[in-house]
Amino acid sequence: MTGLDDIDGLAAEYVLGTLNREERLAVESRIASDPTLKAAISAWERRLTPLADTLKPVVPPANLYNKIRAQIGLSAHVVSLKAREQQLVRRGNRWRNAAAGMTAMAASLAGLVGVREFQYQQMPTQFVAVLQAGDDKPAFLMTVDTKTHNCVITAVTAPKQPDKSYQVWMVHDKLPKPKSLGVMSEGDMNVMPMDDGPDTAMFMNATFAVSLEPEGGSPSDGPTGPVLFTGKLIKATP
Amino acid sequence: MQLTRQQLDKLIAAVAKGDEAAFAELYQATSSKLFAVALRILRSREAAEEVLQESYFRVWEKAADFNPALASPLTWMAAIVRNRCIDEVRRKVPRGGDDESVLENIESGDEHPIVGLERQEDVQRLLRCMDGLEPEKKQIVRLAYLDGMSREDLAAKFGRPEGTIKTWLHRSLAQLKGCLEQ
Repeated sequence: MTGLDDIDGLAAEYVLGTLNREERLAVESRIASDPTLKAAISAWERRLTPLADTLKPVVPPANLYNKIRAQIGLSAHVVSLKAREQQLVRRGNRWRNAAAGMTAMAASLAGLVGVREFQYQQMPTQFVAVLQAGDDKPAFLMTVDTKTHNCVITAVTAPKQPDKSYQVWMVHDKLPKPKSLGVMSEGDMNVMPMDDGPDTAMFMNATFAVSLEPEGGSPSDGPTGPVLFTGKLIKATP
Repeated sequence: MQLTRQQLDKLIAAVAKGDEAAFAELYQATSSKLFAVALRILRSREAAEEVLQESYFRVWEKAADFNPALASPLTWMAAIVRNRCIDEVRRKVPRGGDDESVLENIESGDEHPIVGLERQEDVQRLLRCMDGLEPEKKQIVRLAYLDGMSREDLAAKFGRPEGTIKTWLHRSLAQLKGCLEQ
């Protein structure tokens, strides 16, 4: 009986699942740049997957789909927030143009020559975000201080949830997945120190979200429970 | 509620465009199969739920990358789930808690795989080819694919050196490949 060549043997064992961790990682890092290996893996997946069909199906718990929906909802929410943000910017521009027109008219009527503009050059250090569900009452207030590198979350009207914890997340394009800022512990005010020092630009563009997780926080490295409240930062000091 | 290959292809194409109703239908049609796969390897409902959640999220995000010329939707999704499960068991040294109720639940459909359902042709063919292996070799392939056992696990279970297990695996897989290509 003939054996398999090296690549085919590696692909077969990768799909069968018998490689150790190091060997698996080596295969995974090679797949993208090795079309022969990739094709061999696809072929073995086609050959062996019918085995999975011999297992008796087991219906997953009913709430699992909701968790998946919540996770998808979080990423969809970021998209819809972006759209809303652009809408606000457009609306803001219209107001600004209208205001500029009025000012010019007023100035010419009064025979004034110049319009003085104020600009604050100083960088603000304190930001605040209201985290809420839709247009409801604010549930949490979040303040970020870029000088002290602290983030303070205050529960305003968020209901206490028995056997559950609220977990705070930061969502941003530049982050591969939502980043946990911490789990709310007992008490209405939590200080969450930010390890890597807040990148002001990233913070200003990020969305902050609170999800409801099993007691002690999400068991994985992303939100697993429903996302209840979201919000964005605004400057709190001029 | 067995959907055809064409129906599943269509659902994935719709999911790639962000169609949530199609995603719900895809989940309905596939989740109990994939949950069985994850439970069998991870032997813990909690861990299997977690892997399933991550896997479906990935399906949602990567549906546009799915290539129907390379694999069927079920093959693609099963590969996502199995890869996560195997990475998970290889990361941890001790195997999951061997929850008896979990095993009882999934073992029953195992040795008598045909329960009322008419098997698809590819399943029939693979099972026929598996029957051509010596009983011990067949058991090893099943334990590897379905239970996620590594060469090391198999060596311990069968009291043979890892090298022998590797040789057996390669011969068995070559035999299966030859048989499937006939």
